[in-house]
Amino acid sequence: MLNIDGRQGEGGGQVLRTSLALSLATGTPFRLDDVRGGRAKPGLLRQHLTALRAAAAVGDAEVTGAELGSRRVSFSPRALKGGNYTFSIGSAGSALLVVQTILPALLLAKEPSTVRVTGGTHAPMAPPFDHFARAFVPALARMGLAVEATLHRHGFFPAGGGDVEVHVRPEGAGRVSRFEALDDGRVTAVRARALVAGIRPRVGWDEVTHLAEALALPRDAVGVDELAPERGPGNAVMVEIERERSREIVTAFGEKGVPAKKVADAAAEEARALLAADVPIGEHLADQHLLPMALGRGGEIATVAPSLHTTTQMGLVPRFLPDVRFEARDEGRGRFVITVR
Amino acid sequence: MVTVIGLLGSVLDAGGGPKRWEKWRPTVSLTQHDDLEVGRLVLLYDPTHAHILETVRADIAQVSPATRVDAVPFPLRDPWDFEEVYAALSDFSRDFAFHPEKDEYLVHITTGSHVVQICLFLLTESRHFPGRLLQTSPPKGKKGGPGAHRVIDLDLSRYDAIAQRRALEHTEARAFLKSGIETKNAAFNRMIEQIEEVAVRSRAPLLLLGPTGAGKSHLARRIYELKRARRLASGDLADVNCATIRGDAAMSALFGHVRGAFTGAASDRAGLLMKADGGVLFLDEIGELGLDEQAMLLRALEDKTFFPLGSDREKRSDFQLICGTNRDLGDDVRRGRFREDLLARIQLWTFRLPPLRERPEDIGPNLDWELERAEPLVGSRVTMSREARAAFMAFATSPRATWRSNFRDLNAAAVRMATLAPAGRITALVVEAEIARLVAAWSDGAGGVAADAVERALGPAAAAALDRFDRVQLADVLEVCRASQSLSEAGRALFAASRAKKTSANDADRLRKYLARFGLRFESLPR
Repeated sequence: MLNIDGRQGEGGGQVLRTSLALSLATGTPFRLDDVRGGRAKPGLLRQHLTALRAAAAVGDAEVTGAELGSRRVSFSPRALKGGNYTFSIGSAGSALLVVQTILPALLLAKEPSTVRVTGGTHAPMAPPFDHFARAFVPALARMGLAVEATLHRHGFFPAGGGDVEVHVRPEGAGRVSRFEALDDGRVTAVRARALVAGIRPRVGWDEVTHLAEALALPRDAVGVDELAPERGPGNAVMVEIERERSREIVTAFGEKGVPAKKVADAAAEEARALLAADVPIGEHLADQHLLPMALGRGGEIATVAPSLHTTTQMGLVPRFLPDVRFEARDEGRGRFVITVR
Repeated sequence: MVTVIGLLGSVLDAGGGPKRWEKWRPTVSLTQHDDLEVGRLVLLYDPTHAHILETVRADIAQVSPATRVDAVPFPLRDPWDFEEVYAALSDFSRDFAFHPEKDEYLVHITTGSHVVQICLFLLTESRHFPGRLLQTSPPKGKKGGPGAHRVIDLDLSRYDAIAQRRALEHTEARAFLKSGIETKNAAFNRMIEQIEEVAVRSRAPLLLLGPTGAGKSHLARRIYELKRARRLASGDLADVNCATIRGDAAMSALFGHVRGAFTGAASDRAGLLMKADGGVLFLDEIGELGLDEQAMLLRALEDKTFFPLGSDREKRSDFQLICGTNRDLGDDVRRGRFREDLLARIQLWTFRLPPLRERPEDIGPNLDWELERAEPLVGSRVTMSREARAAFMAFATSPRATWRSNFRDLNAAAVRMATLAPAGRITALVVEAEIARLVAAWSDGAGGVAADAVERALGPAAAAALDRFDRVQLADVLEVCRASQSLSEAGRALFAASRAKKTSANDADRLRKYLARFGLRFESLPR
């Protein structure tokens, strides 16, 4: 049984989720000490418990310490089971974080799976559905992995109630290709879109107008999606950077009391950094790519400076996959290349 | 599993449209905390608020799918009527199937009227609700989110700061009862601890047993002052020694009289029971109280009412009774001198104050306290030389010091020594004279004669240096000498047994040699 220190790297929920994902995919049991030891409120919170229970269901795992506030968890998967799963998370957790935790395992299962998760789909501190479906899933397809994601209903914080369905067809997993994303071609389009639900659409228009100015976008490259008011309140802005071979999306969330311009500025700044470094992969997508690449046949990606989440992945993966090596190379002007082999 | 029991708030939990999510709704917020997993929410609701319930229920299903909501209709005619609310919640708690062995119960007190909150508090504290209180509060500032929640365990011993504060209050109260004197006698300190517990918690009568001067009256006053300081008594302290009042005068002193009740009753008199209303009545020497007064007192204790002398109008007084006695009241009951039912009433809490001679380790601290108290009387600071103190303490803790009147004696000795101390300094000489005075005072009456003879023959210092073993022997010898005309006569009396067996020839010589060991001669013994 592997011993994982919960204080390493970002010292939070990611250490748990990545360990669960790797344990399911490799069949290696682990014990996690000092769960979320780097956080002000350490131990398992509800969203972590949800991820732990979901992983236990998929891996038919034997689990100890699965309770609120727990500081030590052990996880021993017995058998991978694909199939139909439904998880209800509530507003406290992101549906996509749960999907991420079990996705590598479902890709390795014998049978196809359908996972239905209700909860937050556009919540801060987690990948929004659009990013998952329009940036991450296409990248998986390039590796040869067949995943399909459908958004049935949006779920914002705090009301939640979103509904996501993900289909996984594992047959391609045996023939995964090396992932190369050093140069995905030139930028073909930059678009900005605001989501509003249950708040004045004007807020969304203010956001995209600011974004259009900040990123010098043409008028027809921005828009506002008005959702049914009862889905709200909720607001997010997304900037899509389309290249010849890939897509990256940066997101910022509107919050009560935060002016529209401030929300737009946050998204604009992240988008500008990506464009300036001329890399196809942003910081969040980078850390998400490392797992499938490590479990597959490796590869090379060009991205921005590795975030703490990315280095945390680079530290954890070799614990479960001792043959995997990571290398991050600073190529100057904000461009970094991460190699996985 | 965590089960939360709470009321649906008619104002706080209300809200419709997307905006409701920007409002803090305590009941919904309960299920939104990332560190609290509510398995079951038992929600008491007024049926007129069914529309609020439906929204809250649907929202909880969305934000916390694992929470089961059990809505219980709970109509209240007036949520501010204490009697109705308490009865309704009490009935609910009686009918609810609690399983404290497997479920954890949290009683949410943030919603509902203040009266509901008070009743929930009372019923949780009395364990009708076998759980802890749950308090929720809105998020700080403009930030949204579920706000904060806090679990309050009414077992105060779980809180360090509170436990420390309480311990300090106990310590202070005990020190107060002991007048700040650091007594070391374990039995006495234990008794003070018990008195402190009872005095703070109870208004039932206290009975203080102990010899005269053991501090009964002083302690009664300190108990009263402690209750007064803790706002447990609002009235006065009334005290009287029952041995000093007899007949009509006793009745009148205790229960008062109306004008013309008896010859000389020129005006109304309230009496001590009225004076003690809301306060404390201390009856010292309760065994001296007449049977008529006992009957009246019993009624006053049981009904809180009594008749003043000569009046047919009842008076009410609610007082706490403290009684003092040195008598065996049980024996008085057998002899028909004390009412058994009154004794049963007053002896619920009985404390025996030990005599001073049983507390030798407390004489030093009490001496210091008495000397300090004497300072205003003599108008200067009073100190004691080391030699003087050693001499006094050696005497005070010796068997010769009977401390017949206990603290009264110690107080008198301290006042006398302080008064006679040259420039406020008590010297060995002052102590020696005081010892002689005390010994003389205790010598009259039974048991004092022998001690007196030794003292007079040898002087206090030399007498004090004797072992008890030698001292009793010498005392008897001196007594025989005093009653004899000659050395030979005394010798014959003292050695009569060996003389009968013819084993001793010269009794007078034996006696002379014995006396010589103490530096005494028969001829110069005090007569």
